[in-house]
Amino acid sequence: MKAKSVLAAVLALSALAGCGGAPGGGDEDKAAATPSATAEAKPDISKAGNVTLRVWDQNVRGGQNAEIEELNKQFQAKYPNVTIERTKKSFEDLLKTVKLAASGDDAPDVIQVNQGRGTMGEIVKAGLLRPVDDYAKVYDWESRYSSTLLDLNRFSSDGAEFGSGELYGLSQMGEIVGVFYNKDKVTTPPTTLTEFEASLQQAKDAGDTPIMFGNLEKWPGIHNFESVLGQTADKQAIRDFVFAREGASFDNPEFQAGATKIKEWVDKGYFNKDFNGTDYDPAWQSFAKGDSWYLIAGTWVTADLAEQMGDKVGFMLMPGQDPNAPVSLGGEDLPFTISSASKVPDVAAAYIDFLTDANAAKVLVDTNNLPAMKGAPTPSTGVSVEVAQAWQKLNDADGVIPYLDYTTPTFYDDISSAIQELLAGKQSPTEFTAGVQEAYDKWAESR
Amino acid sequence: MTSRAEQTLGYVILGVFSLIALLPIVGILFTALQDPDGVAAFGSLNGLHFENFKTAWEDGNFGSYLKSSIIVSVSVVFFATLFSILAGYAFGLMRFRGSTVLFYLFLLGLMVPTEAIIVPLYYDLRDLNLTNTYWALILPQIATSVAFGTYWMRTYFRTVPRSLVEAARLDGASTWFTLWRVLLPLARPAVLTMTVLLFMWTWNEFLLALVMVSDESLRTAPLGLSFFQGRNTSELSLMAAASVIVALPVVILYIFLQRHFIRGMLAGAVKG
Amino acid sequence: MAVAAPLEAASREGSPGERPPGEPRLVGYLYLLPAFVVFAGFVLYPLYRAAYISLWDWDGLTAGTWAGFDNYAEVFTDEDLRAAFVHALILLLFYAVLPLLIGLALAGVMARARVRGLAFFRAVLFLPQVVAMVVVALMWKMIYQPTDGALNRFLGWFGIEGRSWLGDFNLALPSVGLVGTYVYFGLAMVLLTAGVQKIPTSLYDAARVDGAGPFREFLAVTLPGLRGEIAVALTLTTIYALRNFDLVYITTSGGPGNATSVPAFQVFSRAFESGQVGSAAAVGITLTVIIFIISLGINRIAERST
Repeated sequence: MKAKSVLAAVLALSALAGCGGAPGGGDEDKAAATPSATAEAKPDISKAGNVTLRVWDQNVRGGQNAEIEELNKQFQAKYPNVTIERTKKSFEDLLKTVKLAASGDDAPDVIQVNQGRGTMGEIVKAGLLRPVDDYAKVYDWESRYSSTLLDLNRFSSDGAEFGSGELYGLSQMGEIVGVFYNKDKVTTPPTTLTEFEASLQQAKDAGDTPIMFGNLEKWPGIHNFESVLGQTADKQAIRDFVFAREGASFDNPEFQAGATKIKEWVDKGYFNKDFNGTDYDPAWQSFAKGDSWYLIAGTWVTADLAEQMGDKVGFMLMPGQDPNAPVSLGGEDLPFTISSASKVPDVAAAYIDFLTDANAAKVLVDTNNLPAMKGAPTPSTGVSVEVAQAWQKLNDADGVIPYLDYTTPTFYDDISSAIQELLAGKQSPTEFTAGVQEAYDKWAESR
Repeated sequence: MTSRAEQTLGYVILGVFSLIALLPIVGILFTALQDPDGVAAFGSLNGLHFENFKTAWEDGNFGSYLKSSIIVSVSVVFFATLFSILAGYAFGLMRFRGSTVLFYLFLLGLMVPTEAIIVPLYYDLRDLNLTNTYWALILPQIATSVAFGTYWMRTYFRTVPRSLVEAARLDGASTWFTLWRVLLPLARPAVLTMTVLLFMWTWNEFLLALVMVSDESLRTAPLGLSFFQGRNTSELSLMAAASVIVALPVVILYIFLQRHFIRGMLAGAVKG
Repeated sequence: MAVAAPLEAASREGSPGERPPGEPRLVGYLYLLPAFVVFAGFVLYPLYRAAYISLWDWDGLTAGTWAGFDNYAEVFTDEDLRAAFVHALILLLFYAVLPLLIGLALAGVMARARVRGLAFFRAVLFLPQVVAMVVVALMWKMIYQPTDGALNRFLGWFGIEGRSWLGDFNLALPSVGLVGTYVYFGLAMVLLTAGVQKIPTSLYDAARVDGAGPFREFLAVTLPGLRGEIAVALTLTTIYALRNFDLVYITTSGGPGNATSVPAFQVFSRAFESGQVGSAAAVGITLTVIIFIISLGINRIAERST
């Protein structure tokens, strides 16, 4: 009798509530937002009245935080009528909350959005970002970057095609995931993969930790794995896969070789043994303290390593088969984009312009960051010199491969979990590539 | 004799588990006081650096987070308490058609996890332009709190001697007067316990605050702490100091009212 | 967030429909109105909406397509989802069963010996529940740190090699579970010690006259006497275990691999990260049904053994 009355109440309620249409059905008008007005000339921001510009960025580490704070200060000094309200979040926290933030009428004006189908593609598909091609023309942004870098921030407005179509934002910093080394331990940096492996073995034999690795957050594994993958697989095959081009695959012998190689490194003890339980930041700090010979990390930690290690830290591209044809994971950091809900797109665009102009390039160099812009000044001291040279060399050799997690909307989770399982020996290299392929196919079929 | 040995055993069990309960909390206090530039390790004490709290407070924007938490918690507790008293009174001391079914609905609400309703709550409140407002945190939490509170107050009103209510009625008192002037003064312990529990749950709420609010100025303390730790994973002493800041208001309340709190918990759970 | 004891307590008290004193009063509806409006608007209606959304394949952004019960089928066929529910059930051991055993051990001892200063111990044992889960999670993340976390240093004193508690596929779930044990053993202990003090001493005297030893006494008197408290403790901790979100979100984000992924976490990541909103709603509804069944089950058993 009790159960019956509950059931009756529930049924009564659902009858009351009635039946609606498909969820999200009324929102079609929202999709594929186009700018309400097209910018034709540089807007005068000083005449924009009192404006609060809300910005979400992920520059939380020392050198990157310093760079943004400096530029924000300068921008507000230039335009006293603009107040920047900044929210900074770690990469991981930003990724988890960016879709929630970008939806809704009061989305932040400027948001750093991760490239690729997982984040940018989804948000573009929902019409939540404002294309910036008009501003690009007005401010001549296209001359600031190589087309390879610009293309990473492009999507077709239905979110289907990645790497072409509308431009949605600009990145400040170039990124290379490379190898930092401790000059006290590594006197002559290895130039080929074979030499690198010999050096790792040497470190191991000396009782030291060869490579420090922190993978509790899951995403760092992508960087370590793909750095190795770049040396075993053809760079074009990797690019084709990430951009989901015809005929691309993950489950092939070259990719298996990459998986086998990094698993071999784990088994040989080339990483600290607790890597899956170590946080990313403590890992590079541990390297900075001299606890390991090498660290595979992005150039975003350059400033902090330089501050802690001074001239003891060196940087090189991941050694591969041919020192003259380097291949390295990288590209550019998360682009600053304008939400379509922003009521002050002109100010937002001026801000993005300010973050990526020649003055910004100089500030980036001064704070030990790597500018993505062409013709940026070259740094004169410390590890930043090596980073800048590597960037030059890599771009000359056209050796940049894009991050694997760009591939599909769920790939960030798919691949990072799979890599953790591979490294922990829960999956064999062949199971790993087959499993990732399956996740990819599931998306490709429903496309 | 055996009883002496058993008494000792009782103390040992209680002592050991009390220690387990306390150690991590003491550990985080010690960590919060560590030298921020020293070698940080959880639980060791190497000085009394109270400035960590200041640094965390300023870097982490905790003033604003605590303000949001207070606004949300106080509103939720106030309205949920008021509504629960009224509804509990009706269920406890009045007869009307359908009261059983309605009461079962409230009981059902006790078992519905936030995870089950978070999806529609988010999308529907967004369509009403209520996400990114305090309302998005306050209204759903009043609703979940009212499910518990109504049950709680009904239980209390059922224990009220009938003669009291009858006497009031014979004196010609209205139901409203009877509630506020006759019954409620006696209900103070029950109400106090309920408010303490509701305050604790609201203050510590995480998922709703994560999903509903992305505006920095509306963010509540637990969320603020979560993002703060994301940015400072390697600054142990700062993270610990921030944790203490977030936990402290409820812990202080608990220390002052722990007797009510525990009695309430036991009464609510056992007496029924 | 709310407490589940009421369900159990209510059923024990007799029917909640038992007649309240006084004459029928229509004014009752008025008193009920504010609570019911908020409750219906922000719990019942969303619950209905969740059930509705769960029948659609929807990315949260564009119009959805009808999916029928596909999302529910997926709960059983999708490996990640199935794993998440299995993990939740394993966590039950740590959140509910382990605290209960600890509480029972103490209650067994206390049945035979008076302990003074119980109020103080209660206050301390309850403390972990009062501290925000986010803080507890951070605390334990620091304790579990592989390099210089407190646990590994502690083990080091005994020459035991440290582990990567949250990074090891086999250890991560138990490690997260033990945090749950940490939070809830106090609840079980306090509930059961209070219960054991209410058992009439005459029952123990009778048992002793029959020559019962401590163990038989426990089985014959203490355990049946605590039936109600056991049911409450189990119901409460079960619900906490199944809606475990913040702890996993902060400590492991479901990793390594998917080793600590739980339904609550899947709801969040599907609904707000990977755009599988219909599936997220289905997981949430399934979770509610499971909580419902387990709570009813526990209380049925408690009643039957009367």
